[in-house]
Amino acid sequence: MIIMVSVAFINPLSDEGKMIVRELGEFDGVLSENDDLMSIVTESRSQEISDDSFIPRSYFDLALKRIEWYAKKKNDRNFDHKQYDFLFNPDINKFDVIAFFLLCQAIGVKYGPNSRESRVLVESQGKLIENRLGKLSKIERNVLVTNILNSLLSSAHIKWTFFEDLISSKKLKLHELILDSGEIILDKDDFLERFSHKIQGRKPEKMYEALIGDRIKELVMIKMVMQNTENYILQVGERSNREIEPNPILLELADKISDVLLASVQTFGQGSGGYGGSVKASALNPKAFPPCVKKVMEGMKSGGRNDAIIMFLTPFISYARLYPAVFSENITKQISDVDPTLAIIQNEILPLIFGAAERCSPPLFEDQPQDKVNLNAKLGFGMHQNPELKNEGETTWYTPMSCEKVKIHLPSLCKPDETCKKIGNPLSYYNRKIWVVKKESKAESAAEEDKKD
Amino acid sequence: MVKIEYLTPASPEERKRYYREEWNIKQVPEYIIHSIQEREFGFDHVGRGPNDRYKVFRTPDLLKRFLKVRTPFAAYCSVAFYDKPRRRDRWTKAELVFDVDAKDIPVRTCECEGVCEICLNEAREIVLGIIDTLKADLGLKNIHVVYSGRGYHIRVLDNDVMSVNSDVRSQIVKYLVGADVPENEYSLDFEKVSYEHFVIPFGYPNVFTKRVKYAILHLTENSELDEVNKKLLKDVLKHRQLIELDNWGMFKNKIGPQRYRKVIKGIASINMSLVDAKVSIDLKRILRLPSSLHSMVSMKCTEVKNIETFDPFDDAVPKFVYERK
Ligand code: SF4
Ligand SMILES: [Zn+2]
Repeated sequence: MIIMVSVAFINPLSDEGKMIVRELGEFDGVLSENDDLMSIVTESRSQEISDDSFIPRSYFDLALKRIEWYAKKKNDRNFDHKQYDFLFNPDINKFDVIAFFLLCQAIGVKYGPNSRESRVLVESQGKLIENRLGKLSKIERNVLVTNILNSLLSSAHIKWTFFEDLISSKKLKLHELILDSGEIILDKDDFLERFSHKIQGRKPEKMYEALIGDRIKELVMIKMVMQNTENYILQVGERSNREIEPNPILLELADKISDVLLASVQTFGQGSGGYGGSVKASALNPKAFPPCVKKVMEGMKSGGRNDAIIMFLTPFISYARLYPAVFSENITKQISDVDPTLAIIQNEILPLIFGAAERCSPPLFEDQPQDKVNLNAKLGFGMHQNPELKNEGETTWYTPMSCEKVKIHLPSLCKPDETCKKIGNPLSYYNRKIWVVKKESKAESAAEEDKKD
Repeated sequence: MVKIEYLTPASPEERKRYYREEWNIKQVPEYIIHSIQEREFGFDHVGRGPNDRYKVFRTPDLLKRFLKVRTPFAAYCSVAFYDKPRRRDRWTKAELVFDVDAKDIPVRTCECEGVCEICLNEAREIVLGIIDTLKADLGLKNIHVVYSGRGYHIRVLDNDVMSVNSDVRSQIVKYLVGADVPENEYSLDFEKVSYEHFVIPFGYPNVFTKRVKYAILHLTENSELDEVNKKLLKDVLKHRQLIELDNWGMFKNKIGPQRYRKVIKGIASINMSLVDAKVSIDLKRILRLPSSLHSMVSMKCTEVKNIETFDPFDDAVPKFVYERK
């Protein structure tokens, strides 16, 4: 079987990919115009070329285009894929691989593996792979994926603990994999051998295709490439700490990457989950609260009262009201940055939290007035009874607990609904839902108007 | 047979008798003894929680002397291994533990306030289910069970999992207890197929099926499941012998597919409380030392040799209890 698409087009960290980088040698010349690159771009089948700015002229440009593609695709409602068609043209492979390495190095040197830039690169690599695979025939795709997977996995029998990193970062979920005696089952024959005799009234082959088949193999392959990308960025970062001067081209690229990300936030609003419009602070809408928050708002009848109000509700309410974009912007703020006189805290946020505390049985603060200090501390105002500007910063403003944490520390709160499937933090639930709720209530009031007529 | 009213606190005199006459260092499991220098020990001398912590014993003999002399209210030992346990410094690894407390089981058939024979036995059944999954799915082998005095600790010492972090541990917990409803729609080339969890006899769907079965068979009229009203609960109880016979399809038909979904969603959500997940994700937790006395209930925290036949009221009652008037 002939594979048309190079392995490196999907996995730039493969041996093929490394070879390409080695051939290029030093990174000189990554800034200069490259005719070969430009002609591949302009000859891509559905490439938009009406505007020069759509066409990358150098490796450096191409690296930025890769990031821009992802940021726009995620945030821009008017995203036009024809401007980026070249990214899916297999002919660009050689250039693409080098752009990928440039990005990893720039980000590794300047921001490290835990940065937003790193996260964006890793995610964008995953998305690129998905989209590139999507353009192949089923056969081609299967052969390519199997090939890459074989080179990434050392043996046919893989223990699930081999994927510790992927599971830890939730790139893969344990319950999505088929496990048997500690091994992850990917291979069809292996599957049939182990499970055929147990399956009744259904075709084992078909069950394999549905439950594992190409889908899980691709998932595992993509997530492994993503994880390896992250590891590579980490390596670069560690190495650059030991070495002398980082290459100025890399530093310049790193700055430009941030610019691209910033621009996409400013123009389109980052993290709005594709609904457009940025997530801005505005009056709270309890209709958009997730099930867990609704539950606490009704008051807790049993255990976990303190944690529910102080650790869980307080950060949620304060961020939802004052800084709902915290996770997408990823900038640390203090409350006074957004509520300089603390008027919103006093008039809107504290009353809500105190209301919920009162509805507990027994009411929280009557019982344990000293807990007000803890509440205050979670808002960033230190260990005092009330929030005052002069104490701000003595503690940090706690960010809302993730769903995962809620499930562990306050399992009785989490009653997931449909929206919960798409999010990892109750605050993201709120940001998503608020948009839907607004639309619904508009429709409702329009209906009301109609009735009046 | 000892009766439940014996579950009363032990007096200081009884504690002394226990540690001086009955307790033996050989009752401390081998997996603790041979790593004794790497673990942190903690003690509660007065009954207000372990506040004498960061203790280290270089040899089993020193631990023995300490217990015989101090006869503590409670004794604990870390699941974590450290290079410098005295400062809880240089953590190297930790046992993977699951804490099944009879008092906190989300569905139990007894209505007792604390702990009784019935719920202790139900805790045991849950432990059996978890161990089965640890072995069959996760391929773990070095598994120990300890009766904690009020329930069970499952302690896993396979090297593969001792180094994993809290995030991985939390996913393991969710897998074992069946806290997520499995997908039931799958796409094949040009069609969608749907497989309910109960037609898939392997992997997570199979684990989930077992946990749901357990829960349904242990529901009572007073059980509470989210979005499951009294009427629906009644219908579930009425038809549950179908589940006992593994006639899931028929059960689902009787209940109705929409309502069936509600039931299993409700069960998935309470399943998270089958174990205390906080214990499993804590990499530095201290647990009751097997062989020590649980003074609150006058029972021994005991290594369980055979969980199939273990009976706490036979195997975990100290002698002094029999001599009480
Ligand atoms: S999934 Fe998250 S948002 Fe939904 S109820 Fe649970 S904790 Fe809340
Ligand atoms: Zn009971």
